Amino acid sequence: MWKNFLVNLKDIFRLGFQLAKAEFKLRNEGSYLGIFWYLLNPILMFASLFFIFSDRLGNHIEKYPLFLLLGIIMFNVFQSTTLEATSSIIKGYQHLIKSINFPRESLVLSIVLKNIFSHSFELLLFCVALIYFHVSLLGIFYYVLIFIPFAIFIFGFSLAISVLTVFFVDMDNIWIFAVRIIWLGTPIFYAIENQTRLFVFNLFNPLYYFITMARDLVIYNRIPETYIIFGALGFSLFFLIFGLFVFNKLKLKMAELI
Amino acid sequence: MSRITVKNISKKFRIGFMKNQSILNRLLIALSSRGQKKEIIVLNDVSIAINKGETVGIIGENGSGKSTLLRIIAGIYKADKGDVFINGKIISLINLGVGLKERLTMKDNIFLMGSLLGMSNKNIIEKFDDIVLFSELEDFVDTKVYQFSAGMIQRLIFSIAINANPDILLLDEVFEVGDENFREKSAKKIKDLVNTKNVAVILVSHELEMIEKYCDRAILIKKGKIQKEGNSKEVVEFYRLNR
Repeated sequence: MWKNFLVNLKDIFRLGFQLAKAEFKLRNEGSYLGIFWYLLNPILMFASLFFIFSDRLGNHIEKYPLFLLLGIIMFNVFQSTTLEATSSIIKGYQHLIKSINFPRESLVLSIVLKNIFSHSFELLLFCVALIYFHVSLLGIFYYVLIFIPFAIFIFGFSLAISVLTVFFVDMDNIWIFAVRIIWLGTPIFYAIENQTRLFVFNLFNPLYYFITMARDLVIYNRIPETYIIFGALGFSLFFLIFGLFVFNKLKLKMAELI
Repeated sequence: MSRITVKNISKKFRIGFMKNQSILNRLLIALSSRGQKKEIIVLNDVSIAINKGETVGIIGENGSGKSTLLRIIAGIYKADKGDVFINGKIISLINLGVGLKERLTMKDNIFLMGSLLGMSNKNIIEKFDDIVLFSELEDFVDTKVYQFSAGMIQRLIFSIAINANPDILLLDEVFEVGDENFREKSAKKIKDLVNTKNVAVILVSHELEMIEKYCDRAILIKKGKIQKEGNSKEVVEFYRLNR
């Protein structure tokens, strides 16, 4: 199975790019105004959270606007990719899956690629904020390094959840709910500080590691703690293997059920 | 030399399995072990061998297991028992009337479909003109596909498939909507691929004349079993009499 995956990697990427391109065209129907909509969501989220929390929760947090914005846009890639993964296979491709034996991983990869593309616009927005708050833009290079394991984690997670959606028809509803819980549990608009229970919960939350690492490096220009770095890499590798395993186990059965 | 060897494959489907798909339902069923467990046997101990440069027709009533057989050969389904050996690149069109993205132009669809059929980007660009020319849809390259008729869509899909460098073509009911002219032209093109590139073709169709005319051999499947196999004229004749 692993050998198979590596041999097919080129094909998976090639098809993944084509599918992402097609999906992108479908979403925007030829107009590039759609990019505006990608930005609207994080901007509005940022504005409202900043308005509500900046005086109290954000009071003790250094450079709170940057802290908040980075958390929002990182969570946003995870959220939109996984939410799409719970609907895409059944929605648009069931006829093709039953007719052609193309590498199924490409479907999930295309969602990840598409969301990375829209994430790059959010990142531009974040760069503007960095400049505004006089923080060095150098951190963005670190961000790219952090984003690689983050994207691998998202890919692995999406593989698993996309194929499970075929088996459990209410998976998408459950995931919408679960993602909201994770949003509240992850320190995005607040910091954990001394809340032990919350800290223990977040040790099991992959997003905590990636977001903390990014904030340390990009905003505060400090080296993250070792457990954060290893946690992020560990979760990334674990979810890649787990996702590929689940996906490969179930992908043939999936074709029969859609 | 054989392109496809299928040995003693069997396939069952569980009926009623599709419903009750929610997590809670599954849990309840698993705990009470009361789920519907009706099974139907779709394919029962089927063996076939198809050589290079051979065109084989498969006929049979609806629900006899023809499409399932093709899907197992294509690697889309897994057989419960038996083995499948493949030698070459498979291009399959199985009940594909709706695979295109309606809101994309014909050009975008050619790129998408070509990629799905395993063509590289460069390869698609090389073959692009051939595909458009063969489909006779030159005037619609930038038209969105939702405005196409069923026949036009079928023509487009077929044109992409035969230009995707197949070694094995699995065609399931692809000629049922096309017009007479295009059907003849397609059949000729397939013949051409068979003769020059040693392509093996499996054609599933209810157009018995097509089978008689273009297939070297035919296989009649009834209720998941091979009922008759041999010269296409004889098999079609047998099918007509015993229907």
